[in-house]
Amino acid sequence: MVAADFIEQLLNGLTLGMVYVLLAAGLSVIFGVMDVINFSHGELFALGAYFSLSIIAPFGAGTGFWIAIVVAPVAVGLIGAAIERTTVRPLYGRDPLYHILLTFGLVLVTNDVIRLIWGTQQRQLAVPEYLSQPVSILGVQVSVYNYFMIVFAALLAVVTWYLLNRTKYGMIIRAGSQDREMVRNVGIDIDQYYTLVFGVGAALAAVAGIVLGGYQNVNTGMGNSVIIPAFVVVVLGGLGSFRGAVFGGLLVGVVQTLMRAYSGSVLATFGDTTLTVPNLEGLTVYLLMIAVLLVKPQGLFGTRGEESDGEGEILVGGYGGVLADSTRVRLGGIAVVALALAPIAILFMGDQYYLVVLNEILIWAIFALSLDIVMGYAGLVPLGHTMFYGVGAYTAALIMLHYSQSVFIVLLGAILICAVLAWVVGSLSIRVSGVYFAMITLAFAELLYSAVFKFDFTGGSDGLLGFEALLGLGTVGESLSNIEFGLLGYELGQQFVFYYLALLIAVLSFLFARRMMNAPFGSVLQSIRESEERAEFIGYDVNRYKRRAFVISGGMAGLAGGLLAVSPSTVIISPDQTLNWIHSGEVIVIALFGGMGTLYGPMIGSGVFFGAEEFLSSYTDQWRLIIGTMFILFVLFVPRGIVSIPSLVAQRLETANNADGAVDMDEPDVRSDD
Amino acid sequence: MSSEGTSPDSSVGIDRSRRQFIAAAGAVGVLGLAGCQGGSTGGEEAVTVASLNPMTGPYSSLGPGQRTGAELAVAEINNNDDYDFEFELVTGDTETEAGAAQSEAQRVVQEEGAEFVFGAISSSVALGLNDFAAQSEHIYFPGGAAVPITGSACNEWVFRFETNTAQIAEAISAYSVNNLGNNVWFHYADYAYGDSVYNRTSRRMENTSDDYTEVGTSTSELGASNYGSFITQISNSEADVVMLGMTGGDLVNFTNQAADQGLTDQMAVVGPTQTFQSVRAGTGSNSVGTFGGARYDPSIETGDNQAFVEAYASENDRDPGNFARVGYDSMRLMAKGMNEAGSTEPGDVRDALEGGTFTTVLGDITLRESDHQATNPTWMAELVEGGSDSADVELLEQVPGSETLPPASDLGCEM
Amino acid sequence: MTETVLETDGLTKRFGKLTAVDDVSLSVADGEFRSVIGPNGAGKTTTFNLITGALSPSEGAVRFKGEDITNVAPHERVGRGLGRSFQITNVFGGLTVRENVRLAAQSVYSDEINPGEALFRDKNGFDEIAEQTRTVLEQIGLRDRADEHAEALAYGDQRRLELGLVLATDPALVMLDEPTAGMSSEETQATMNLIDEVLSDRSLMLIEHDIDLVMRVSDRITVLTRGEELASGTPEEIANNEDVRDAYLGGVRE
Repeated sequence: MVAADFIEQLLNGLTLGMVYVLLAAGLSVIFGVMDVINFSHGELFALGAYFSLSIIAPFGAGTGFWIAIVVAPVAVGLIGAAIERTTVRPLYGRDPLYHILLTFGLVLVTNDVIRLIWGTQQRQLAVPEYLSQPVSILGVQVSVYNYFMIVFAALLAVVTWYLLNRTKYGMIIRAGSQDREMVRNVGIDIDQYYTLVFGVGAALAAVAGIVLGGYQNVNTGMGNSVIIPAFVVVVLGGLGSFRGAVFGGLLVGVVQTLMRAYSGSVLATFGDTTLTVPNLEGLTVYLLMIAVLLVKPQGLFGTRGEESDGEGEILVGGYGGVLADSTRVRLGGIAVVALALAPIAILFMGDQYYLVVLNEILIWAIFALSLDIVMGYAGLVPLGHTMFYGVGAYTAALIMLHYSQSVFIVLLGAILICAVLAWVVGSLSIRVSGVYFAMITLAFAELLYSAVFKFDFTGGSDGLLGFEALLGLGTVGESLSNIEFGLLGYELGQQFVFYYLALLIAVLSFLFARRMMNAPFGSVLQSIRESEERAEFIGYDVNRYKRRAFVISGGMAGLAGGLLAVSPSTVIISPDQTLNWIHSGEVIVIALFGGMGTLYGPMIGSGVFFGAEEFLSSYTDQWRLIIGTMFILFVLFVPRGIVSIPSLVAQRLETANNADGAVDMDEPDVRSDD
Repeated sequence: MSSEGTSPDSSVGIDRSRRQFIAAAGAVGVLGLAGCQGGSTGGEEAVTVASLNPMTGPYSSLGPGQRTGAELAVAEINNNDDYDFEFELVTGDTETEAGAAQSEAQRVVQEEGAEFVFGAISSSVALGLNDFAAQSEHIYFPGGAAVPITGSACNEWVFRFETNTAQIAEAISAYSVNNLGNNVWFHYADYAYGDSVYNRTSRRMENTSDDYTEVGTSTSELGASNYGSFITQISNSEADVVMLGMTGGDLVNFTNQAADQGLTDQMAVVGPTQTFQSVRAGTGSNSVGTFGGARYDPSIETGDNQAFVEAYASENDRDPGNFARVGYDSMRLMAKGMNEAGSTEPGDVRDALEGGTFTTVLGDITLRESDHQATNPTWMAELVEGGSDSADVELLEQVPGSETLPPASDLGCEM
Repeated sequence: MTETVLETDGLTKRFGKLTAVDDVSLSVADGEFRSVIGPNGAGKTTTFNLITGALSPSEGAVRFKGEDITNVAPHERVGRGLGRSFQITNVFGGLTVRENVRLAAQSVYSDEINPGEALFRDKNGFDEIAEQTRTVLEQIGLRDRADEHAEALAYGDQRRLELGLVLATDPALVMLDEPTAGMSSEETQATMNLIDEVLSDRSLMLIEHDIDLVMRVSDRITVLTRGEELASGTPEEIANNEDVRDAYLGGVRE
């Protein structure tokens, strides 16, 4: 009985594992060959399931399912190939960072398109009757569909393996995923294969979507829910390794399932001590991933050396700017004065909600600034930066609930706890570089995200409420929400007080960061970004500098999180609001969007991002589609971010003027209309 | 996980320190008097009401129903001469996430000037909006079912027409033990809602029958997608009944996999929200043979339900579900409260709603004075083969509100 | 009596089954210009990396100024006076020429900067560093171009800057990895002149495969083949060495 039970669990694990294999195979090869961190892989997976829904509808489950499983992946594959041609291709040779911005935009666009076409209702993907029967073999009872999933996915995996290992195309792709330069050196144009790889990867993801859709259901969140486990699989198995994807997928599927089934159950009893399986469901895979990366940074089957990563070019926002430094300082001053006066304008408009938006912008400006310190200056890309934002917010809320309500003590606490956390995470992860660093920080963030659901003191899924900050020290001070004063007959409330507090902290954080970057410590960070190897061989302990930068950055992100909790607009701190990986993606996108490596760029990015969101969402429900498209266009045409627009315009004007002057003398003011 | 003892629903650590939006004492630098933008009474005035629903995120399949119901109510109220005011509806997307919901609530209240807010489904979001309502002193009708919303986190500004988990759990517990079997396995998602289903149903079952046995329990994470391992475990136990403390996508996935693995044929699968339209849509014929509590069904003859169903169906080409009914009557209760109060001032409306009895699609219900929870009846139902793709609901037994709603003190509400 | 600045003792590096460097023991005297030559695959670059710390040896030891540095991190070796240049020009392209040199100079003084200063004091406010920077810019002849971005420099000037970076760290021994790779004979001459000009007062170790060049500039030459030391000696000794002639000068040289 116990054995049969275990075998059933194992089969369940394999079923899920096979889905991961299909997902990870494409992701891993795309990752390995092109260095593309493809966040949109999950949406292509969902697209496969949604296409099938539409295909099955007219034919019925009996035949429709089989038509869908062939046609839908082909369609998604074509879409994948088109995506590669139009958006990914122009970015080769740039740092993988830009793929994050690009594919993040693709996620927003695809997801919105799915919602627009198919609606938000979750649906059932009908599978043929004979597949959805329970079947019992030797006392082991699972659904026929489980066996179907395992066999079908295994078949596809074998075919993929064959294509990769026994065909010329496959050999080239495999070689490319190990050493692109070498393949180029022997005279093969590896770039030509990218479209094929991307298309096939997308098709495999679509198959996974259909298969899993038939097992569970089809909903708009399905892509988002598999993408992170899929990344875990890829990193565990080793980037670019098909064998790794297979092994990693099965491992994660089985471990997840077994931990779920047996957590809390008694393993053995020795006298008084009972050994139980700890309730770590949800945490296990991330712990596994961290452990593997620490021992074997290139993953279980990875063959690529670490040196071959992060070779792409990072485009810093400020470089080549046309504005003189003094102009910039003046503009910055004007911006701060305008922000300081903004509440007065808001007061006359009588709409305090704008203040709520401005507060959010300021908090995220600090968060994005903190990211710029490590990303724009030390060249580290943490995909789990929201762990500091979230832990800062939770720390602040907990301090307010249990120890002190003083704003200053609360914020200080958030900074310190996050700095310590950053030191621990940094010590463990900084020795791995490039995408591995990105992934290991993601694993830590996901670990914390899963953990807050588990504990009572963090309020589980509900989060924390009922906290309040006082503007003062200790218990002496005025409650933020009690501070009220009138001006010219207008009521100035808590939002105003907080706004000025946030503005002050944002300006001070910026000045702190700027000072730091002009001091010896910051100058070394910049040298590390330019050339890590060189920095080491003029005598700098590169890892130590990175770790310190990470600690400072973590502390500052914690400050942003603390401010979120302190804000009078915040009544609740919940897991999704603070620790969901989406926010790690968002903050990277905001920093790139604004122009990283400039400190002020990411802060501007925050303003434009939330401003645009606020503006667009008041006009249309499809605002994600528009923002996503904006990201895609930016990464293609304005890669240095918003702050580079003046120099781009200047360039354009210059070339236009030259052209006008030389060729088109009759129409000197071509640009006046339109 | 669950806290033991007397107050199972107080697991959410809430330290209620009510915020005063306008505080006279202790004000810093009083330069002038606070302006007051009062709503006048009488006349064909426009009252801004807001509906905040999860249009994206995990509950995006439920939010649109809520919204549609609220919109229908607003249209009817504006065409009805019984009300000498007009509702102006503003909407927002909570994204099923407390942070986004918070800022949307601030937008509709501070920018749009709404003082009557309805919405939210998930517990976390509703609790956040609860607190915000108390802070800014506006009426809030939550759409969430978690007990603490009118339990440990209750406040004077929050009124709930949605039937809470405690009510539904009480209703299905007795029927399950008496008619489906004494050996019960509990499987629930490891978060506030799941915990509270487990606590309530197990307690009620224990009180109902001496032969009741808890065969085992298992928990999964919120949002888990693969339940094969649990189903195997449950299937190998001696249980007659498996009680599911989960809802939404979790419940859909569990039900589909349970049917595939033959669990549904083997024992009674009971889920409080099994009859939800979204669950039925996601499970197709897989939910046939399962049982659930019903908070609502279009077929019921209570109150003015049939008129509602007809109006809704003619607008939307389909019957309303539970969330549409909550949206519909939450809006109507606001309007009825205003009529009762003869004022559109939130404070006056609050006093009129508190302890008041109103006619709804569920018949005459009272918004209890002690916790502002509606005394809704509930139903036990079985899912049967339906004409369309999804299963039909067959109501087995109606349980009156008085029998299902525990006293407010039991639910942790102190107002 | 000249002192020994660098010494390797039985240095061995294996990659799997391949032994890239096999029991190499050499010593470089203070002030000496030592060259290491050998055909491709002879283990020159691996030896270089073992000495600079980019790789750690399978067996054997490296001693620098009398101290065992086998397990000392690369940056720490630089701090002790072991500088290196790169074969492919490796400067901080996005930074100004002055900042490039200043960073190298700063590294020498970084122990004397306290944490507060490191975080908050203006990087240009340290007199000794500024002085060192000026001197080096002068020496490498890039003072006029100090405010340009390094990546905007012509190739030859980038090579100068590359050497400037090494020079600014004030090394006792400079390891040069094929500094003239891919250069025309004029450029090669100019580069060697530059090395002579700015680094003449340091010990030098040159990794090179251009035998003619090596013969002209070196005090002593070490010849490697298949990871092993074939011979060491003055240019004349090497030129007259039978083994070298058989293994290297006669055979492989094209």
